[in-house]
Amino acid sequence: MTLDPEVDLSKTYDAVIVGSGAAGGMAAHVLTSKGMKVLLLEAGKKLDIEQELRSMEWPYDNANRGFLPPDSHSLNFNEYTIRRPPYGPGFEKSKHLYSYIGSSDYTKNIVVDERENPYSGTNYAWVRARCLGGKTNIWGRLALRLSDYDFKAKDRDGYGENWPISYSDIAPYYDKVDLYLGITGVKENLDYLPDSIFQRPTKLNCAELTLKQGLQKMGRVLTQYRAGVTSDGLKHNKYRTRCYGRGACSRKGGCDIHAAFDSPTGLIYPAMDTGNLTLRPNSTVREVTVDPATGKASGVRFIDSQTMKDYRVKARVVIVAASTLESARLLLLSKSRQHPNGLANSSGHLGHNFCEHVMGPGITGRAKDLVGKPPTLDDGRPGGFYLTRFRNLKEKHPNFIRGYGFEGGSGSTMFPRGTDARGFGAAFKEEVRRNHGAYIEMGGFGEVLSRYENHVDLDPVVKDKWGIPALRFHYKFGDNERKMCEDMKETAKEMFEAAGFEILHVSDRMLTEGWSIHELGTARMGNDPKTSVLNQFEQSHDVKNLFVVDGSAFVNASCQNPTWTIMALCWRSCDYLAEEMKKGNL
Amino acid sequence: MAERNPSDFEKEIDLRQDRRQWLKTSAVLLGASLLPPAAETSEAPPPAQSTPKAPPRHAHETRATARFFTPEQHAMVDELTETILPEDSRCGGAKAARVTDFIDKTLRETQDEEQKRTWREGLPLVDSMSRHYNGKSFVDASPEERVAILTVLSDNDRMTDLPEVRFFKDLKHLTIIGYYTSKVGIHDDLQYKGNRVLQEYTGCEDQGRAKT
Repeated sequence: MTLDPEVDLSKTYDAVIVGSGAAGGMAAHVLTSKGMKVLLLEAGKKLDIEQELRSMEWPYDNANRGFLPPDSHSLNFNEYTIRRPPYGPGFEKSKHLYSYIGSSDYTKNIVVDERENPYSGTNYAWVRARCLGGKTNIWGRLALRLSDYDFKAKDRDGYGENWPISYSDIAPYYDKVDLYLGITGVKENLDYLPDSIFQRPTKLNCAELTLKQGLQKMGRVLTQYRAGVTSDGLKHNKYRTRCYGRGACSRKGGCDIHAAFDSPTGLIYPAMDTGNLTLRPNSTVREVTVDPATGKASGVRFIDSQTMKDYRVKARVVIVAASTLESARLLLLSKSRQHPNGLANSSGHLGHNFCEHVMGPGITGRAKDLVGKPPTLDDGRPGGFYLTRFRNLKEKHPNFIRGYGFEGGSGSTMFPRGTDARGFGAAFKEEVRRNHGAYIEMGGFGEVLSRYENHVDLDPVVKDKWGIPALRFHYKFGDNERKMCEDMKETAKEMFEAAGFEILHVSDRMLTEGWSIHELGTARMGNDPKTSVLNQFEQSHDVKNLFVVDGSAFVNASCQNPTWTIMALCWRSCDYLAEEMKKGNL
Repeated sequence: MAERNPSDFEKEIDLRQDRRQWLKTSAVLLGASLLPPAAETSEAPPPAQSTPKAPPRHAHETRATARFFTPEQHAMVDELTETILPEDSRCGGAKAARVTDFIDKTLRETQDEEQKRTWREGLPLVDSMSRHYNGKSFVDASPEERVAILTVLSDNDRMTDLPEVRFFKDLKHLTIIGYYTSKVGIHDDLQYKGNRVLQEYTGCEDQGRAKT
């Protein structure tokens, strides 16, 4: 695959896509497959991704044992809590400053340097990846569907808004995503967590199986990690190999054989092979331009991220897929005479209804029957298990609405669990050896309610390295999240007790807002243009040839991880877009 | 309070009370010590650089990088790390995993002056403790005597206002990182099974270990 060295900016593209992550990659795939001529702009570099990921590297072969070089720093929980971006005083000594995800030598170049990309306002652990493929290069891979428990949640508890679609509208597109990208898992026939079209599943190890059996008595479901990973391979994709269960998947970092989905190999390279896609990395889009005569989008204005030169390019359709918060920022930046409050913002809802998943409560235990057993391979899998939602399905919880699930895993990892025990010496070493395969842990992911007052706007003063106004956060967890987290702690405990594990640590501490990296909902869909930004096809109510196809479109966060839904929605919207274009409606 | 015998470790030790004694005695003893005294080191250049012609310790380290530890400090850190994770019947310990080299590199390259100070101050403090409780330097002490010293620090690991406690915690932290990312730690000790191509992942059932 080669990049066009000099992208032709004089012609009018059928579509310009801003952002190359899950959403932008999917838009590129769908539209180029329909013969449209597409320009894909990515703010970051095209990294030599194999060089970055090095999935099979042993720590002792790495200059820093896989950790960050000593001249760099990644933010920790306390720093997010007590410091304010852009993290000036106290961090001068670090040449590079990364978000908490950038704590390993395998992720540091995927995420941005925080100081080049400041933001302001309330605490938020904002993880951004500016490079081809964005966060999909290192995502957690848990690929879940939403159901009508989520799409029609208002019908169930009266809170918020329903989505303008039902499960039946999106189900065929989930199927398409499953088949095109590959997903591993086990069918469970749950109405609140629909099955995908799964490839060969991974297997549970012994502690996980013990937990599953313990939960059956309680009517709760533990299933193999549903991973956006091809376990059987994909005949139509020459860039990706099936999962070989090589291990070290628990290490932060991506998959160098691309068994795990990432946008470049899963979507963008195949799109380039159609001959219809032009890719320009290092292109920081700062404005969606508007035709003063029609008020419609005319293209975008961008800065070359390296040379700082300013460019414009024209397109018949503009597709914003820069990630939930960056997309909101871009539209807020795109002010014009016709759109004084930002593009697609006649409702005043742009940047609002911002929601995500709350994390923090979790538990660590030990399966006593595994202590001292010979070591097994436990991390040769893209993930351990997913414990599905059980709150507010049939019965109503008295303290909070909506639900949460747990992600977890157990067994031996390349770097052992249990080294935080007290003591030292021969006994300590022996304890680590005997116990490291017997640990089991899980952490909750809960729905943060979509609230109008949780929002982002533009900081009037702070600007990023490129002179673009920074995003300012007005975002806090509420009472429902706090009560949900208290419940997570209690249920985690009762479930580990039911499984007979020795409980070592239980936490109900909420992690900093943003920790889940599941930010959603800043340009929500809806049928009413007064209370929503997009229609059910992620098309702006105000500007017909503007689509926002990433997590911004979500009406609520549900408690399921969003990537698969982002891509299914995007596919559906791009099908609609292509039809509308054919009809001349855009 | 008189100096204590190793057998005194059977009794409860009050670190906060005792350290007044051993800090006092150490001031005298350190004059003869090979280790730089704590007070001089916080602002001073790394001792490694002031040691005349310390030869590269290992053949592969031919770069002109000055080492953080003097040869004497290196020897002490070898014994400290080996006391944290010692050789046993299955495999080597921190020395075999060359943890001291890892710590030296970490301290050489870190931007964290506080961490460097912790080590420069911590080494002589622990040596003073050994001289006080064991009547000899940490390096000259027996393995049991070394364990006794570090046990005092480990048992009091919440007293993080004390520099020797902070030193112990960082010593333990870096020893664990260095050891469990080494060949000895990953392969010989934990016998890690991953990071190789597998046709099929074996779960609990395949291992014949499932409870039905």
